[in-house]
Amino acid sequence: MSVKNMHRRGRTRREFLGETAKVAAAGALAGGFPHIARGSEGIRTIGLAVSIINEIQGKASEDLGFAVRGQALGYGAMVGKMLNQNDQYEVAEGYFNDMDVMIPSKVWQPIDTQRIPEWEKVSDLTKTGRLTPESNPGQGDAPFRHLWLDEDGNRVEGPSRYISMLPGWHNADSLGYNPEETGRPIESWAELFSDDFAGQVALLNAPQIGVMDAALAVEGLGIFQFKDKGNMTREEIDFLIDFLIEKKQAGHFRAFWETFGQSVNLMVNGEVVLESMWSPAVTAIKAEGVPCVYAFPKEGMRGWHGGCAISAKATGKTLDQAYEYINWWLEGWGGAFVARQGYYMSVPENVRKHLEPEEWDFWYEGKPAAKELPDPYGTIIVEEGEVRDGGSYWDRFRNIAVWNSLMDENNYLVERWTEFLNA
Amino acid sequence: MANHAIPQHPGLVGAVPARGFPWRGGDDRPGEAASGRDGPAAAGARAVRRAPGGHPGWLIAPATLWLFVFLLVPLASILVFSFFTSTGFGMAPEPTIKNYVDYFEVEGFFDPEARKFLTPSVFLSTLGTTFRFALTVMVLCLLVGYPIAYFLALQVQAFKWQLALFLLCMVPFWTSYLIRAVAWLPMLGRRGLLNRALVELGIVEKPVSFLLYSEFGYTMALVQLYVVLCIGPIFFSLAKIDRQVLEAARDMGANAFQIFREIILPLSLPGVAIGMIFIFVMLMGEFASAVVVYGGKISTVGTVILNYYTFANYPFAAVNALMLMIAMMIGVVIILRVVDIRKQL
Repeated sequence: MSVKNMHRRGRTRREFLGETAKVAAAGALAGGFPHIARGSEGIRTIGLAVSIINEIQGKASEDLGFAVRGQALGYGAMVGKMLNQNDQYEVAEGYFNDMDVMIPSKVWQPIDTQRIPEWEKVSDLTKTGRLTPESNPGQGDAPFRHLWLDEDGNRVEGPSRYISMLPGWHNADSLGYNPEETGRPIESWAELFSDDFAGQVALLNAPQIGVMDAALAVEGLGIFQFKDKGNMTREEIDFLIDFLIEKKQAGHFRAFWETFGQSVNLMVNGEVVLESMWSPAVTAIKAEGVPCVYAFPKEGMRGWHGGCAISAKATGKTLDQAYEYINWWLEGWGGAFVARQGYYMSVPENVRKHLEPEEWDFWYEGKPAAKELPDPYGTIIVEEGEVRDGGSYWDRFRNIAVWNSLMDENNYLVERWTEFLNA
Repeated sequence: MANHAIPQHPGLVGAVPARGFPWRGGDDRPGEAASGRDGPAAAGARAVRRAPGGHPGWLIAPATLWLFVFLLVPLASILVFSFFTSTGFGMAPEPTIKNYVDYFEVEGFFDPEARKFLTPSVFLSTLGTTFRFALTVMVLCLLVGYPIAYFLALQVQAFKWQLALFLLCMVPFWTSYLIRAVAWLPMLGRRGLLNRALVELGIVEKPVSFLLYSEFGYTMALVQLYVVLCIGPIFFSLAKIDRQVLEAARDMGANAFQIFREIILPLSLPGVAIGMIFIFVMLMGEFASAVVVYGGKISTVGTVILNYYTFANYPFAAVNALMLMIAMMIGVVIILRVVDIRKQL
C-alpha cells in the first residue's frame, strides 16, 4: 500500500467492463484464438499498477500470440513476492531503487542485451545517467548505478553485455501546491518548511521517500548539506529526523499521506496548500475544480525508474517468451499508454510512433496542447492550450537532484521515522 | 485496503484462550484445582464420550486441522523467523538474538550523558502508545456503550423493540470498516460539516483544525468504530438478569443505586469483560484508521511491522509481531483476572 502503487487513478468502470468483455470473448472465441485457449501456458508478470494494467498485458498477449498474465500488487507485497516466490512469475516489473535487495539475492537472471534488438535505442538516462550530455546524473539509486552486471549477475562498472533490468517507465516527482492559497509560486523545496504554510503541509509517509523530500527542503533552506541524499549516514539521518520532530511538535504538518487518493483529497478538501505529490495527482485535483500546480523546484526533482526483470527460474520456452514480452515494451505501444498518464519511457522515439503529434508535443516536448487530449482510457483530461508542469522531458530529467533509493542505513531510517511519527 | 485483515490475525490468537482458559484455575489456586475444577470438567468429558454416534472426535477434527495448519504452523514460523539473521534482502537461518536486542535496546543505559538516557527503544514506545490508545478508547467505549446496553436491556420492555433498537445500533457495521473511518473526513475536516456549523453559528471565526488529523479526532473515530463490540455482549449479559431478582431487591428496600451496584453491575461484568477483550484485541492491531483519521501522524505496531516487511527485514517484523501478540495476551489475561468469566457464566 505504500510507495508508488497508487500512481494511477483507481480502477475505472471501463477497465472493469473491458475485463469482463475479455473474459466473455475468451469463452466465445476460445476455438479461434489458440493463445487465449491455452490458459495455463504463456507467462506471468508482476508489478505495481503503474505498469500492470489489463489493457497493456492484453495488448501484449494479442501482439505476441501467447498469454501474458499480469498481477498488480501493493509495494510491500510486490517486493515480497519478487524476492521469495520467483517461481511464481517469469517477468518482474520492478524498480531500480530495490536493486540493493534484488541483485545480491540473485532471484533474477541477468538480461542479455544481445537478445534485445532495440537496445541501442534505449536512452542514455539509464546507461550513463545523462539523458543529455550536460545532465546531472543525480544522487542515490540512479538506474545507471544498478544496471550493469556480469554473466553471473554480479554488479560491474558499465557498460557490459548483461543488465539487471530492462529500463522502462519513469518519472520525476516534486511538490504540488494550490497557487490561490500559497499566494506565490513555489520554486524551491525549502517552501515545504516555510512558516507561512504551518499546519497546512503534508509529506509522503514512506520513510525511504519522505526523508528525501525533507532532505531536499533542508538543503534548500541552507541549514545542512548532505554528502549523499540517496545514502545518508546515521548522523545525517539523526540531524534530519531531529529537525522533522521539532517541526512536527510545532504543528507544522497537517498529515502524512500513504496513497495517491489521500494526497488528492488533502488538497481538494482544503486541508493542505502544499505537499509532496506524484504528478498524476495534479490532474485529479484540477478535475475536482481545485487549482493545483506541480512545482519545478530549482534544486531539481526526485526521480524514479522502473523496468522489466526476468526471474532466475525462467528457462526454455518461457524464457524466450519473457524476452519477447520485455522487447514488446520497448516497441512503443506500452510507452504511449503510460505516457497518457504522464510517465516517460526509455525509448522515446518508439513511443512517438504510437502517439499523435499533439500528444507527443504535450507529454514529451512540454508544449501547450494543440487540442483536447485523452487519458489512456479515452477520457479527456487535457484542455486545449494547457501546458504540462515541469517543462519538456529533457528539461525535467536534466536536473534530477536525487533518485528514489534504498539506503544502507534503511533499518535505522525506518526506526527513526517511526520515532518521528510518534513524536 | 486488503491489508486491514492483517491486524485481526493476532487478534484471533489473543481471543482464543479467552474463551476457555482451562489452565487458569490451576495456575491460580493449585490446591483447589485438582479437586474443585477438574472434577466437573472430567465428568463433562465422560458425558461427551458416552454420547450416541460413537467417538465424537471427528467433530472437532476439521477445526483442529484448520487451526493447526493456519494458526499453529504460521505462529511457529514467526517464532523461528524472529531468531533468523536479516541479510538485507531476506533472511538466513543463522540463529541470532540481535533482533530482540534491537527491540529491547534502551539507549544510553550506562551513559547518563546520552541523548536519549533511559528512553526505551522506539519499538517499545510504539507498543506503549498503541497500548495507551487502546486503554483510552476502551474506557470511552465502556462509558458510551454501557448506558446504551443498559437502556436496551432494562429500560426497553418489549422484546421486539429491544431487537429493533439493537439492530439499529448495528446498522453502521453493515458497511465496510474503512468506509466508516473515511466517513469522518467530510464530518471533521476544515471544510467539514462540523466546522461549517461552528462558523455559521458564530462560535468560531474561522474553521478549527483540531477536529481532524488529531488525537481528538482519532480517539473519537475509534470509539465510534468499536463501541458496538461492547454493546452486544453487555446487552446480552444484562438481558439475562432475572427481573424478579431486581423486584425482590426493590421490595427489600434497596434504592436504584444499590440495585445497580449490588446486582446489575456484578451480573453484567462478564459481558463487559468480553466486550473489552474484543475491543482491546482489535485496537492493538489497528493501523488503518491511524492513516485515515489521524493522517498517519502516529505509528502503530501494525505500521512498524509493515515497514520492515516491505523491505524484506522479516526477522525484525516477526519480533514486532510476536511482541504485539504477547502484549495482547497479557492484556486479555489482565481483563480475565479482573472478571472471572468462568465463575460468572
